[in-house]
Amino acid sequence: MWKLIFAAVVATGLGGTAALADATPISKEARVYIIWPRDGQVVHGGKLWVRMGLKNAGIAPAGVEKANTGHHHLIIDAPLPPLNQEIPADKNHLHFGAGQTEVRLELPPGKHTLQLLFGDNQHLPHNPPVYSEKITIIVP
Amino acid sequence: MRTVFFIAVLVLAALVTTPFMRTGAAAGETPAAKNAYLYIGWPNDGEVIKMHRFRVWFGLRNAGIAPAGVQKPNTGHHHLIIDAPLPPFDQEIPADKNHLHFGAGQTEAVIELAPGKHTLQLLMGDYQHIPHNPPIYSRQITIYVK
Repeated sequence: MWKLIFAAVVATGLGGTAALADATPISKEARVYIIWPRDGQVVHGGKLWVRMGLKNAGIAPAGVEKANTGHHHLIIDAPLPPLNQEIPADKNHLHFGAGQTEVRLELPPGKHTLQLLFGDNQHLPHNPPVYSEKITIIVP
Repeated sequence: MRTVFFIAVLVLAALVTTPFMRTGAAAGETPAAKNAYLYIGWPNDGEVIKMHRFRVWFGLRNAGIAPAGVQKPNTGHHHLIIDAPLPPFDQEIPADKNHLHFGAGQTEAVIELAPGKHTLQLLMGDYQHIPHNPPIYSRQITIYVK
């Protein structure tokens, strides 16, 4: 059984790597990070601006192919999606294909996670994939 | 000698006042995104900075970033104006040590300034480096580099 799981993990890993090799290249120094809020931040009322930070790369709207650029995707209360596929677009995966660098959110009470994932002109993660640390915020 | 000095002063005065005279009068042809709001996220106005090299964070709301040369509605790219007034709005933003262009779509920059008092201001430019109509620019802030 363990062998099967191991084989499956290896296969998935290899598949992912092969697909990533075709992904849009980006500087190895490129970093996305959440400027605001901070990890562990308590947000009373649940309304906040999320400020999306980017180092050593640039923003281009979706559909624009330009070296060392991409656009932000904010993942809310979800794990990282597969890095060899188009990033889903739903309430847990917000796309900023118009080149936005901030977004206003309204979150219900509870614990929430936020994570940024950079996508290329076709909403695919880059090679190497550029994503932020996942942070947790609390809405009392 | 005095005449030369006087002319120099006149030219300087003209350079300084020109942007203000043009404010509101002229602008580029690219329409600005409605409610677009540009601001310097860091440093804060009046900030005392102990390092010569520091990161400036560009804040933009209700509009998006596109690299220079990319024509897309409601987008533009950042220009950081250091120790200078706003340039004319109907012309390409100058590119020199007082007017830094971020045509690759950058949203922050590490800059190096000599000790002393400095001003910083952001101005959005369209795909041709010309300000929008109406122009989108931040408040000018003053910082002190130790």
